[in-house]
Amino acid sequence: MTEAILSIQDLQKNFGGVVATRDFCLEIEKNQIVGLIGPNGAGKTTIFNIITGIYTPSAGTVKFLGNDLVGKKPFQIAQAGIARTFQNIRLFQKLSVLDNVIMASHKDCTYSVFGAMTHLGAFRKNEKEVRERSMQLLEMVGLQDITDRIAGGLPYGHQRRLEIARALAIRPKLLLLDEPAAGMNAEESEDLCSFVFDLHKKFDLTIFLIEHHMDVVMKLCDEITVLNFGQTICQGTPQQVIADPHVIEAYLGEEK
Amino acid sequence: MAGYYEGLLILVGINIIAVIGVSILTGFTRLFSFGNGGFMAIGAYTGAILSTKLHTPLAVSILGGMLMAGFVAFLLGKITLGLKGDYFLIATLGFGESVRVIIENLQGVTGGARGYSGIPMKTDLFVIVISVALAIFIAWNILHSKIGRNFMAIREQEIAADAIGIDTAKYKNIAFVISAMFAAWAGVLFAHYFTFIVPIMFNLAKSSEMTITVVIGGLGSLTGSIVATTLLTLLPELARAAAEYRMLAYGVAVVLIITLRPSGLMGYKEFSARAIYYWVRDLFSRKAVKSGEEVSS
Amino acid sequence: MIWQQIVNGISVGSIYALMATGYALIYSLLGFSNWAHGDIAMVGAYLGFMFIASMNLPWWAALILALLGAGLLSVISERLAYRKIRKNNSPTMFLMIAAMGLSVALQNFILVTVGSKFKTYPQVLPVKAINIGGVYIGLLDLISFLASVIVIIFLYYLIERTKFGLAVKAAAANMQVASLLGINVDRYISLVFLLAGSLAGLSGVFLGMKYTVYPQLGNFALKAFIASVFGGLGSVPGAIVGALFIGLMEVFVAGYISAGLRDLFTFSLLVAVLVIRPTGLFGKDIQDKA
Repeated sequence: MTEAILSIQDLQKNFGGVVATRDFCLEIEKNQIVGLIGPNGAGKTTIFNIITGIYTPSAGTVKFLGNDLVGKKPFQIAQAGIARTFQNIRLFQKLSVLDNVIMASHKDCTYSVFGAMTHLGAFRKNEKEVRERSMQLLEMVGLQDITDRIAGGLPYGHQRRLEIARALAIRPKLLLLDEPAAGMNAEESEDLCSFVFDLHKKFDLTIFLIEHHMDVVMKLCDEITVLNFGQTICQGTPQQVIADPHVIEAYLGEEK
Repeated sequence: MAGYYEGLLILVGINIIAVIGVSILTGFTRLFSFGNGGFMAIGAYTGAILSTKLHTPLAVSILGGMLMAGFVAFLLGKITLGLKGDYFLIATLGFGESVRVIIENLQGVTGGARGYSGIPMKTDLFVIVISVALAIFIAWNILHSKIGRNFMAIREQEIAADAIGIDTAKYKNIAFVISAMFAAWAGVLFAHYFTFIVPIMFNLAKSSEMTITVVIGGLGSLTGSIVATTLLTLLPELARAAAEYRMLAYGVAVVLIITLRPSGLMGYKEFSARAIYYWVRDLFSRKAVKSGEEVSS
Repeated sequence: MIWQQIVNGISVGSIYALMATGYALIYSLLGFSNWAHGDIAMVGAYLGFMFIASMNLPWWAALILALLGAGLLSVISERLAYRKIRKNNSPTMFLMIAAMGLSVALQNFILVTVGSKFKTYPQVLPVKAINIGGVYIGLLDLISFLASVIVIIFLYYLIERTKFGLAVKAAAANMQVASLLGINVDRYISLVFLLAGSLAGLSGVFLGMKYTVYPQLGNFALKAFIASVFGGLGSVPGAIVGALFIGLMEVFVAGYISAGLRDLFTFSLLVAVLVIRPTGLFGKDIQDKA
């Protein structure tokens, strides 16, 4: 019953002389929620960028559902079923909430170029379906009341939800969340946890997340990988990780 | 030759069609190109040759010109669209100028620098009105479809567009090809109005003028581009001053607009009934209007 | 024979290099293509002509005054046209569009005030050709070449070895941080524009002397742009190398193939280079981080 959705072996990434990632290995199974933590600059977002094809690794393999991802373009990887959110929220700021989600449904628009040019034929029906589906997604994330608002004007927490809704629109099997709780207080982080659990169930997702808020990580994750200076210093359940001396040292400094 | 005012309207129509293409490319996909004059030339000469040598009806000449330009744009796009901003710009500029040089040197086919004459006069007001209406119809529909949305995604956040599975390279090329085809369309109409074409009519000045028009009209607004084109084609005629004074005023106006009101005439907005409704409503309401509260079309 | 071509190519290339250097300076600092750069050069050419023809100044005095005049115009244009756009945080493309408007305005201002007739510089330099080892160099070409070399060496010293240069490089790297560190970024930008404008003015005078003076003289700047793209936008050494290369290419293509196809070869070469090295020969590859 343990099918590895994502399988990373011996991943390495060099930027010139700097080794950002070294000997990184990870197996994520279906429906797991896996966390990636570590001090700033440890190389976490680099790993995300390699998985999603923005960076090409200097060495190592990344397999998704058995298929090699290395060398594929970002849009191909997205179409294969990996969606992500970004550390500094990359919404289409000047467009509406609804439009942001509709944008991501482009694969559902099956009409031809002729249909696009004339709005005849299956166009109207197709567009209506896409619109409705996008509305449903927004309802599931609780944003259905503000569909016409401009994305850039939303409060931070709502922007994050919108970004997640947009990611869900591409029907991902694996969802990468880059610091979803960034800038949130304790209460908002709580909400986020329930939110993520909810989506995890509703959409049958596998989730891989980067986070600094330890309470969020502890609550959500089945397994955690800890990075420091590009190297993995611990991998295990939350309980194992929190007790590991290397992890404590990395975060708090050596015990005197 | 048509009457003076009719001729003016025809010119406006031709420019609108060309600028619509640039609007899609620059306003909606944020690709700046100085090569669309070259595509206009390709369309004009292809259409002219078809009309004079093969005696094709206007529609066929237009189609031929558009296909030729589209094909060239497809190839050029494959080579150059991977380049970043200013590099792509210079590459398109080089392309536009190269087209001119090539035409000038293919004397046997194109008449060279002396020009190509004897083109049948087939563009009249009726043809223009139909063409402009059709062009706006097609452009508007494309922009309000998945294709247009993909363009805007590339414009707004290319990295995010990639992340939601949009093949950004392919769609940039589509935008480029569409803009080339619109330019060619305008070029064929141009050739069949003036009955005589010279490479210098489609030079860098023409290309940059189209880009400036789109910026003045507002990047991201099709109506803005159309309004700006109309104004910029008509106003100099109405002003009735010597060409140099007009151009001086034009240059100064460009600088003023871009420094004082960079969002252009219409900013991001399109002309729509809903927009007018909101505008009127906000005028009468006492609540402060949140800046940035715009209506998506 | 081939040496003659090479000398001719380097000679014209050095004038292009003067123009390209000023253009590259502005690009490296503000990240935009100053479309009006060539027209500043054109004004320099007209100023030089005016000082020599109407005021009968010695040629070197006219040169310096034209240089300063062009520099001043450059500074004013930055203040009036570009500064506000920069402060607004508008996209850099807008700066280029403002430059385009400025270019049109300058050209037509000259057309309106001075007229469109081509002006020829009075003969202030003897039309001598110096023979060095079988190769002929016109006196004007030699002087412009030497001037270019001197100016470029001076520029190198200025940018690499002085505090001024350090401040400029800091501002070019990150304007916000530079100003936080106490660098008066506005002032340095004005100074760079003064420098770039003077370089343009100098190249304008040389071009005017070599050819003639006319309102569209600024079109030569296109070669400066191409040189800069070729060498890598933002790289001053790259621009110089690019300019020399273009000068050589033009002479060789005109000599061995056809004068009319000159530009075609230049552009094709440009595209070929960009396909292999998308950011030019010495350009920096800036990757957008996610």
